[in-house]
Amino acid sequence: MKFEKKRAGAKQEIPTSSMPDIIFMLLLFFMVATTLREQEIFVKFTLPEGKAIEKIENKRLVSYIWVGETEKIQIDDNIVKVNAVKKIMYDKRVVLPNVIVSLRVDKNSRMGLVTDIQQQLREADALRINYSAMPKP
Amino acid sequence: MIKRNKREGGEFSAGSMADITFLLLLFFLVTTNIDVDTGIGMTLPPKVEEDVIIPMSKDRLAALLINENGDVLLNGEIIAIPQIGETLIERITSKIDLPKKKKLVVSIKTDRNTNYNLYIQALDQVKTAFYKVRDDYAMGKFGVKRKDVNDEQKKELVDKIPIIISIAEPEKIK
Repeated sequence: MKFEKKRAGAKQEIPTSSMPDIIFMLLLFFMVATTLREQEIFVKFTLPEGKAIEKIENKRLVSYIWVGETEKIQIDDNIVKVNAVKKIMYDKRVVLPNVIVSLRVDKNSRMGLVTDIQQQLREADALRINYSAMPKP
Repeated sequence: MIKRNKREGGEFSAGSMADITFLLLLFFLVTTNIDVDTGIGMTLPPKVEEDVIIPMSKDRLAALLINENGDVLLNGEIIAIPQIGETLIERITSKIDLPKKKKLVVSIKTDRNTNYNLYIQALDQVKTAFYKVRDDYAMGKFGVKRKDVNDEQKKELVDKIPIIISIAEPEKIK
């Protein structure tokens, strides 16, 4: 008996014409899911780590305060003094009443500074805060 | 006369299209950041003109003190930070069935020179303890994880095990 393989006469090629479309889809996904780096950070900081951390669901509500290694405070694009925090945050709260203030504080800072900022926030009535921390590996 | 070559059916090769879009994709991957903002959420107490002193029984209170050298006191006894959780879990669990006004209040007090990282570690321990108790309660009563409870169960959870953390103002430097 003769065994003969049947070979299809058709071309054995993968059609690649839809490849750009697929990659465009990927591209669109990334464009939608990510945000452009919008703020330049002037202070150097390392965040503390924690276990009981949660994600901030609504990113649009978040407003950041950075505190760097040298205890410089940055809000938006400016380095500010502690006693200016109140005014800035008050203005922010007027625009966005339920603003969440995310404190991105260097882990070697002293509590005194953090408390001063918190007092300013209390005076500005921006009471929802979030101590930014990295998940513990 | 110059003769022009006329070709039939001009085509352009779409084969490199994929490469171009890949480049675009890479560009976006590099310039954007998927920034998940994680942290420990807290609510500050509203500003008041004068401090109101509310008498509170010692049984309700867990007072954490962290000084500038990194020593931690829990109700007057020296404790290591990783042990805070375990100690608190017991006390929180024992108060699940008590009325609202008898739940545990954790107060965290620091010195002005206390390291911020230590404060976060302690706060993290306290939060973990509360979450652990909630986890156990949800698992025991509803048979689901804390994160999978429905609204009604969540309300009961928050009602039974409220997270009350007081951030006291640090002591002035003497």
